[in-house]
Amino acid sequence: MALKLWASSAANALKLSSRASAPFPASSISRCFSSVIDGFRYSDSHEWVKHQGDVATIGITDHAQGHLGEVVFVELPESGTSVTKGSGFGAVESVKATSDVNSPISGEVIEVNSKLTGAPGLINTSTYEDGWMIKVKPSDPSELQSLMDSKEYSKFCEEEDAH
Amino acid sequence: MSRMATFLRFSSSRVSLISFTLLLDKPPGSSLPLDGLAAALVHIQHRLYQMSLQRTLKAYKFGIVNYLNALKLQERLSGERKAGNIQDTILSLQHPPTYTLGKRRTDHNLLLTESEVQAMGAEVHYTERGGDITFHGPRQAIIYPIISLRAIGFGARKYVEGLESIMIEVASLYGVNAHPGKAGETGVWVGDRKIGAIGVRISSGITSHGLAFNIDPDLNYFKHIVPCGIRDKGVTSLRREAQMQLPEDEVIHDQLIQSFAKTFHFKDMQWSQGGLILPADEIK
Repeated sequence: MALKLWASSAANALKLSSRASAPFPASSISRCFSSVIDGFRYSDSHEWVKHQGDVATIGITDHAQGHLGEVVFVELPESGTSVTKGSGFGAVESVKATSDVNSPISGEVIEVNSKLTGAPGLINTSTYEDGWMIKVKPSDPSELQSLMDSKEYSKFCEEEDAH
Repeated sequence: MSRMATFLRFSSSRVSLISFTLLLDKPPGSSLPLDGLAAALVHIQHRLYQMSLQRTLKAYKFGIVNYLNALKLQERLSGERKAGNIQDTILSLQHPPTYTLGKRRTDHNLLLTESEVQAMGAEVHYTERGGDITFHGPRQAIIYPIISLRAIGFGARKYVEGLESIMIEVASLYGVNAHPGKAGETGVWVGDRKIGAIGVRISSGITSHGLAFNIDPDLNYFKHIVPCGIRDKGVTSLRREAQMQLPEDEVIHDQLIQSFAKTFHFKDMQWSQGGLILPADEIK
């Protein structure tokens, strides 16, 4: 039954006529209402990177903070620590769950956002600005190319949410 | 006029592979909605792949397990789950008297010194889970799911809400009307008394730790902490709240697991009594 529905939604997209006139299940495809910023790059574990010259600023995305709930605690590394692409550098706590945060790139931490100690909720309220977590000097700028751009990441979110 | 053909192949017993063959015959000047097409195909392929996943939950049942040993076991299992070597797993057990703290290390909520704790035969452990200080002890059902949240597209909030609903459902089997806490008070309550606690760790999308549901633990142990950092709220148990006789603890553990399997849409369950090599000193 489900297969028929999806087949008809494919037919819709292909602009073919189909026998079953089931309405296009809009909710199952476009459920992602999270915001993204053009020009940022994104990992498949929902972190964003803003690359400006020698500095990459990293945080978690709007999609991530929405799925976490209100952040009450943030654990960050010290300046000078090295981070590796795909490995954890810190954690956030929300709804009695700690979630590891992974670095989308490799490099050295040059600054951490100390405001998050007293105001962890900035991750929810100012996700792409004051809610940044760490600034990294990238050791391999080519890693940024393998991350998603805003359009690819939006599609990725839609796929994940369509469960 | 453009023309397309789609072709679907199905494997023998279940859908495991979908392939679409598109023949485009595009006359000059016309255009096709390729973005919409690509999105639709990705979506359909993904949904059919999901259908084909055998989502089986493997449940391991233990008796009383020392806290550190259970922790080491969970670390091993979540590493294996992350590597894709094992399926989603759930542990069912109880602990000897143990106070535990979460990542925030809120030990100001422990109203005893460590030697006083030891004198009463209890242990204290610091963990990486979320949540505040809590007590675990015999007659309290401990359920530790080690599952992939990424595979089901769940975030922390939805997962924790699922854990709350499991405890609420099992409480209702005994005529107890439990409810989730207010915003910021994760857990399960009967009135203003806490019957179930949650503390979770999510690492690379894999869960560990989980829930603690008071069947009939010795509630006096809770007097020595500010439970979950919340003053002026009591703790309670199923034994205190239920009007009816309770079955063996194992029945309640099984009900929690079954409710978990249902809530998180598992197709099948596999049960195992023990069956995992625990680190040494499991039996105390």
